[in-house]
Amino acid sequence: MAETVPALQTSINLPQIIAVALVGFFAIRWYLNKPAGGGTGGGPPGGQDRSRRGGQAVDLTKVEQVAAMFPQLDRRTIAWDLQSNGGNVSATTERVLGGRGLDNPPPSFQPSLPAPGTQAPAVGVSGGAGSKAGGGASAQQDLIARYGLQARIGGKGKEAVPSEEQLRRQAWSSDKAARAEGLRKRREEMVLEARRRMQERDAGA
Amino acid sequence: MNSVASKRLFQEYKHLTTDPPDGITAGPVNEDDLFVWEAMIQGPEGTPYEGGVFPAELKFPKDYPLMPPTMKFLGDIWHPNVYPNGVVCISILHPPGDDPNHYEQASERWSPIQSVEKILISVMSMIAEPNDESPANVDAARMWRERRQEFEKRVRADVRRSLGL
Repeated sequence: MAETVPALQTSINLPQIIAVALVGFFAIRWYLNKPAGGGTGGGPPGGQDRSRRGGQAVDLTKVEQVAAMFPQLDRRTIAWDLQSNGGNVSATTERVLGGRGLDNPPPSFQPSLPAPGTQAPAVGVSGGAGSKAGGGASAQQDLIARYGLQARIGGKGKEAVPSEEQLRRQAWSSDKAARAEGLRKRREEMVLEARRRMQERDAGA
Repeated sequence: MNSVASKRLFQEYKHLTTDPPDGITAGPVNEDDLFVWEAMIQGPEGTPYEGGVFPAELKFPKDYPLMPPTMKFLGDIWHPNVYPNGVVCISILHPPGDDPNHYEQASERWSPIQSVEKILISVMSMIAEPNDESPANVDAARMWRERRQEFEKRVRADVRRSLGL
């Protein structure tokens, strides 16, 4: 029995103490850095993870940069792509130029972007106001903005209006991307169609 | 682990795509996560909601279809049975079993034989005919009951605004 006491004492030796101290030091450092570094997003971490956390801080100057090159793109879509690739402007640019187009952001992604036309503040605005994750029912943007349809309601650019039957009956594609695209189209068409009808009614009244 | 729920949701998605009910579009926001859907419901004709399109988010529990999803409108909708934050209050979204308050029949509540399609159709008819008995939005319910014209005017204005007009 007398053996156990020294055994216990020697089980906590110097290397272990140093190791614990180091781990503790890094843990504290990581913890203290987290709130401050949250908005600036050093390096490209897992984009999905970040977006799911609702950390919607997007570098507005980068968004503006891309928007200046491609004015037809919705700023929210740009912000979404930038967020998922870790703020890489050239990657987003190449993606657009490559004809692949950008993914549609999920509805829960509502970054605090300045209204088009107003200049982004020069100083990096951290997405403080972007905490409206989940889109509460207050201070709503309209559906046109939500689905990025501004470019399609100009009145010009007569688009072929798909027939109702065509819209209603969708073939089930075996391709995931095609399905997602079909769903997006039907959604957008529903909004545009509703707007068209409302305008027709206005004109008729 | 969630294969039952995923399979079932995928089946329902397929069915809603190939044979959608009138005025309803629904599907997962991202197929990698079948437990979050976005649905769009057209405002029923002959009601002040006519002409509007109302997007909503459906969130499914991991034990779907044993337990019902939750549904939340993503835009403004002034309605006695929709909470001001958009959450929909309707019996088909309530967990199975008998209502402790004996308000609702067990058959009106969620059960695995219901479906997303039935929820959306129920919500559509709820939009058309508010249930005055258990208001989720008390102010809207009061206005609906006492000042119907003002209620309808407000709803129409919301619809126009939501379409950017």
